[in-house]
Amino acid sequence: MPITRRQALGSAGAAIAASTLAKPAIAVNDPIRVGYLPALTGPSSSTGIGINRGIQLAVQEINAAGGINGRQIELITRDTQSDPTKAVNGAAELSHGQNVSVVFGPVNSGESLAVVPLLARTNTPQVHPCWVDTLTDPQKYPMCFRNAPTNQQIGAAANRYVVEVLKRKKVAVISDTTGYGTASVNAYVPMLQGKGAEVVYQGNVDAANPDLKPELLRMQSAGAEAIMPWSVNAGFLSRIINTRGNMGWDVPIVGQTTLGSGQTKALLEKPEYWAKVYPNNFRNVCYGQGGKLPERTTAFVDRLKSAKIDMGDTLLWWIALGYDSPRMIADAMKAIGPEPQQIVGYLNKLKGFPGVYGDISFSPDRHNGYPDEEVVMVEANSLKDGAFNLAPGYSS
Amino acid sequence: MIESIVSTGVAIGCIYALIGITYNVMFSASRVFSFTAGTLGMLGGVLGALFIAQMGVPLIAGFLLVLAAGAVFGIVTEIVAVRPVLKSLDQHLYVLSTLALALMVQQFTAIEWGTESRPFPRLFDIARSDFDQEFWLPMLACAAVIIGLELLYRFTLVGRAFLAISEDNYAARALGLPERGLRMASFALAGMIGALAGFAGGEMLLAFFGNAPILTFYGFVPVALGGMGNNRGAVVAGLLLGLFQQAANFLVGGIFASVAVFTVFIIVLLARPEGLAGASLQRRV
Repeated sequence: MPITRRQALGSAGAAIAASTLAKPAIAVNDPIRVGYLPALTGPSSSTGIGINRGIQLAVQEINAAGGINGRQIELITRDTQSDPTKAVNGAAELSHGQNVSVVFGPVNSGESLAVVPLLARTNTPQVHPCWVDTLTDPQKYPMCFRNAPTNQQIGAAANRYVVEVLKRKKVAVISDTTGYGTASVNAYVPMLQGKGAEVVYQGNVDAANPDLKPELLRMQSAGAEAIMPWSVNAGFLSRIINTRGNMGWDVPIVGQTTLGSGQTKALLEKPEYWAKVYPNNFRNVCYGQGGKLPERTTAFVDRLKSAKIDMGDTLLWWIALGYDSPRMIADAMKAIGPEPQQIVGYLNKLKGFPGVYGDISFSPDRHNGYPDEEVVMVEANSLKDGAFNLAPGYSS
Repeated sequence: MIESIVSTGVAIGCIYALIGITYNVMFSASRVFSFTAGTLGMLGGVLGALFIAQMGVPLIAGFLLVLAAGAVFGIVTEIVAVRPVLKSLDQHLYVLSTLALALMVQQFTAIEWGTESRPFPRLFDIARSDFDQEFWLPMLACAAVIIGLELLYRFTLVGRAFLAISEDNYAARALGLPERGLRMASFALAGMIGALAGFAGGEMLLAFFGNAPILTFYGFVPVALGGMGNNRGAVVAGLLLGLFQQAANFLVGGIFASVAVFTVFIIVLLARPEGLAGASLQRRV
């Protein structure tokens, strides 16, 4: 059917009228939507459950204190169920359907590896606490920030402790055969050698191997003065600790945070085998000399207690990390506004945000905000109310 | 070193042998290799820890519950994953159906039980020693199963009926034997043996969902080496596998131990495709 001049003019007029209509104004008191992607269920949910306690407390406190310049925070939560596919679906919905100002999470690296590129494509500011090094890159993902350490920082802290504090020069480095385990060994062995240590044993072992005595005998005969296992598998780590105990070998075990987890403890043949085991942790949430937490953390723990938040079945650093994240985002919005570019501009210049978990700083070229010196080692057998004693050799 | 190779090697070999027997008992009744055998082993460990350590069920009752759960899973396997594909055995659809069921149960266990290893309770309150209960329990379980099966097959009518359908199920049916009922009973028996393997080896392998694929894999090696359907062959091959694997752990260590095991496995199968104790099939031409 041919289009007449009158129809064409009419269509053009309608199009101009439609394009010049005013957009609906956002009411000044509308809540600010913050997207949140925790793993609250599924096999990797223990971290998310701990972090969630801190997040909920922080949002309650911010809103009770009047919100962000009079606007309440509305936390739009999508449980990833520990599944990267569901995390991607949740992220897409938050950025497209819910139009959130910023996303916090996911809180597990496997999920973040899938979500970070997606949120970068939708120009959604993101803050996450995942350790895999490649999960921040100011060039590829300019709106993505990490308020936790990287794997490099975790390994470097353990290496520093072994070489500089314990003064052990002959080290055995072992991992399971997972991607995390093998990548950690490959990354940390050169770092150790760079510090002047001699790696006398290096190996990857199937995590389900029920007998690790052959490996530990090999380490012992090579003259190892410290064992550094890199794995998140409590079964594998407990077998190393049990075998060391059964051999009566008095050698320190230094490594990943799972060494100090409740799951590892539950698998020990004798409680005393947990002595001289030093996992990673974070200075601000550790007991120093005299069994005291830093002042800022003590005040935080008091708030947790008054809010009746349980710390006994989780880790303090998870709750603290959760507590800090919305506060840091709220500070950005209070200072400069809730638009994505405004938030990113603020975070790019953030200097020393005083978190309970750690002091966070970013720059346009560095989106890893956690300071090296706050990654420390602790005594695994000192767990009390979710926190550990600093390992011997650190000053408070 | 030798004591460690022998105690750990024989114990782990007994667990592999029991999983191999689980495969064989299911195979004899149906001509199907059900890849749920390792999952049964995993469930034995997880359910043992759940009933005894977590729910506080007394040892004997917990043990019987684990065996009952194994029998139920065996029957479910026969109904869900084996019976529908029996008519097309030559297409080997049972590989997919049994693997799918095994994976579903494994994933369900991961979600409900967790992906971390959890402790299996010490079954007897006796002090730890070099020859600890974690080593002798799988040996005891293996011996009990071998003797029990021998008695069943030699001296009971049901056992002879099992043998009859494993020899020739068409002829057995023609003689009036209830083939379907006997097949379900065989799967229930296999389920109990698989669960017993995981329960007896629980202190060594821990209650871990990831044991399923390992037991499925290593448990199949004794079947292939010992001859399909040959329980005595599976026991000998299982023990040899455990000892060789443990020796390789000491001699080469790390991931190379698994490489050594499978290198030898492939060489043996190249030399004797019918297995060490299997008879070569006569084919009419």
